[in-house]
Amino acid sequence: MLRAMPADVLFDVASHYPEAGVVRTAMTARDWSKVRTTVDAAPPAGRSMLLGVAADVPGAEETLQEVLAADPGDSAAAATLGQRWTAIGWKIRSAARAEYVTAEQFAAFHERLRRAEAVLIEGVARNPGDPALWAARLTSGRGLEVGLAEIRRRYDKAIALDPGHLPAQWAFLQSLCPKWSGSWELLHPWARETALAAPPGSTQGALVVDAHLEHWLDLPGGEGDRYLTSAPVRDEIYEAARHSVLHPGFGRDYGWVHAASSFALAFSMLGDEEAAGAMFKQLGDLADDYPWSYLGDPAAQIRTRRARALGGAR
Amino acid sequence: MIEQLDVDGVPALLTPTTGPAHAGLAFRVGFADEPLPRRGITHLVEHLALHSTGVADYHYNGATGVEYTFFHMQGSEQDLAAFLTGVCSSLRDLPMHRLAVEKDLLQAEANGRSQGAADNMSLWRHGARDYGMPSYPEWGLPAIGEDDLRAWVARYFTKENAVLWLAGDGVPDGLRLDLPSGTRQPAPTPSSALPVTPAYFPADSGVLVWDAEVPRAARSSVFAGVLERAMRRELRQEAGLSYTAQAAYEPLGADRALVTAVADSLPDKQAALLGGFVDVLAALRVGRIDEADVAAVVKQRAEALRHAEEQGARLPGQALNLLAGRPVQSADEAIAEMRAVGPAEVAEVAVAASGNGLLMAPRARADWAGFTAAPNHSETTVHGTAYASLEGPGESLIIGPEGVTLVREGTPATVRFDACAIVRAWPDGARYFVGHDGIVVAIEPTLWSGVTGALPWLDSHIPAGLRVDQPPRDPARIPQPVAPEQPAPLPVAPLTRRARALTVAGLIGTVLGTLFFVAVALIGLVLLTEDTSALFGSIVIIGFSILVAVLGGFGIHHLLGRLYRR
Repeated sequence: MLRAMPADVLFDVASHYPEAGVVRTAMTARDWSKVRTTVDAAPPAGRSMLLGVAADVPGAEETLQEVLAADPGDSAAAATLGQRWTAIGWKIRSAARAEYVTAEQFAAFHERLRRAEAVLIEGVARNPGDPALWAARLTSGRGLEVGLAEIRRRYDKAIALDPGHLPAQWAFLQSLCPKWSGSWELLHPWARETALAAPPGSTQGALVVDAHLEHWLDLPGGEGDRYLTSAPVRDEIYEAARHSVLHPGFGRDYGWVHAASSFALAFSMLGDEEAAGAMFKQLGDLADDYPWSYLGDPAAQIRTRRARALGGAR
Repeated sequence: MIEQLDVDGVPALLTPTTGPAHAGLAFRVGFADEPLPRRGITHLVEHLALHSTGVADYHYNGATGVEYTFFHMQGSEQDLAAFLTGVCSSLRDLPMHRLAVEKDLLQAEANGRSQGAADNMSLWRHGARDYGMPSYPEWGLPAIGEDDLRAWVARYFTKENAVLWLAGDGVPDGLRLDLPSGTRQPAPTPSSALPVTPAYFPADSGVLVWDAEVPRAARSSVFAGVLERAMRRELRQEAGLSYTAQAAYEPLGADRALVTAVADSLPDKQAALLGGFVDVLAALRVGRIDEADVAAVVKQRAEALRHAEEQGARLPGQALNLLAGRPVQSADEAIAEMRAVGPAEVAEVAVAASGNGLLMAPRARADWAGFTAAPNHSETTVHGTAYASLEGPGESLIIGPEGVTLVREGTPATVRFDACAIVRAWPDGARYFVGHDGIVVAIEPTLWSGVTGALPWLDSHIPAGLRVDQPPRDPARIPQPVAPEQPAPLPVAPLTRRARALTVAGLIGTVLGTLFFVAVALIGLVLLTEDTSALFGSIVIIGFSILVAVLGGFGIHHLLGRLYRR
């Protein structure tokens, strides 16, 4: 099959998963029932991701508060509103390291996160079986620094309900980083075990890559590169890849763009242009900016490394 | 069947029993009635009243609680009559010669008592008054005198403030309740030290305690039982966060009750225990209540009521009801009320309880879960003289006509004289002030510059009746200042113009003097290389000059420090 060489870099989730565009349009139009019919058709992890898309729509909090006032039992609305307050809070905080965030920013950040928690506590109280609520509580709880034991309790709840709940795994990975409440000693074994425990061809392999890229980012320049290219790290990345993106069963499950995008970055940094090229071919124009943004301008990085991996052709 | 009688003017409840006869005499007085400077007085009365009846083989006891004090005995009718008649005559004429010994015994009893996880809850909820008293030790004992005891008995241990219960065939022959006359003393109105609820305070242990005021009703008792079952399931069985998870229901006053939940945490699980508990409570509040839990609790409570009725064990509770101004309730009525409770009623209690809950969070913050931090410092400071700490610049003590303030790391703790609960005073000068809100200002004169001289003035401003003098402390327990790391940044008073001028003059003089002796030492050394004839004398002069120059150097350093210190 001949495919045109990718020319663009599409980070927009609506270009990755058509339902995301439907959800965003419906949420923007305050059409909650349309959001519900779309998300309810998705598997649990996809549903949680799509609710996250709805939570990124400016002004969604107004619609969602009305929906919940009319039906406090709508757990999709609770999960979305919780994520909405969390997103608003994080925007106030900014992604800067803690020392560059002002006291006022922190106060407003925490105030929004407490709103998120209140909505999510109530949501879980009514619907403890909805993993989207537990996944949403991982991010609000991380910002509120509720403690790793509580984060783990929330994670365990989400995973007990849906063992492959990728949004919960992504969020938990962040908490296991030393910059929040974890350590490398906790993070790497967890990422490897989780990736290998998933069925062959799953997107979970990217957890191993993401964990090592977080570690790489935390180390000073040269040391980081030595770390990433060291035999044990390289071996773990390939072991995860064989069970995930390089496995014939790797398909188009929710999260596949992120997984292929992460592995493309890792293979490129390891100098394996062939494997990186395979990822870029699968992706076409699609890409996830995390963790590419760790390298600088993610679009520029992707264009450069993609061109190198695909033999310079554009 | 409970029969209501009158025995010597004391209302009485009588019920037949299948077991041995027992009887009790209760008074509507307890810790909650005690002012902090007389804390322990009810317990002391109880001990003194029982002393005269000190017959070893009687099954009797006394107990002082938050709201009630009672004397209880099991035995033959003659024994019951003799015991209660004896207690009443002792109350009329307390064996004051036993006062010192009984105080020592109470102290020993307090020392032997183990700390409970929930001990501090009432102080955080109510402060250092009325229902906050259970948190406080019997701090009044050293101050309690014979007149205090007589006044206390005259007010609280009266016919009108008493109730008698009898489980047996009838009123024993020879029973004589010769009590003074007085008036019924209603339970005090609870004070609040919580401006906002639900509130929390961080615990320095791994135990979680939560309590809430609820209506005194069967549905509240069932709520406590359902809460306990949910806690055990969620915190212990499913998540393995806690080993002991309990919830209890305790009536208070005429129409209130307190539900208290306690859960210990397994190591490193404190944060998750808090999260799990928050979720358990939220589920009950929104009405997600397991009907099987409700049914099980109702069944267990109803069976307990039936069993207690058969044993005559409901009698004391009913007698206390009478003292609280509640009607006597038959077992059938109580069981019917219990059986009418369903999930909706439990949820209703859960909503009310969540609203006024107080949480002791295990080594954690709980603001994320909607709890507001309970006040642990004061909003205001008093005006007065500020004293400097001998331990560093971070603290200051203010003593003024309105009260005392201790500022530590910018956070004030203030006790105003017009809102002071107690002042504990030691012969070494230590004064511990406790405010109505429970805030403590502990003044240790050894740690402050100039406070010893201010003590007479301070003592003269302590309101009457609040001071409790303590026995001397072991000298090892009197704190001594720990020198700050930095060399003496105190006192911090800026130099006056005159002092500054003198310091500058002294500095110039010292510099010139030091240079002079340095020059002498150098000249001496040069001369010594040329002429060694007066070797000994030269060495002495050179040594002396060097010594003086070094001292001058220290002097210059000191004076510069004086000039440029902030």
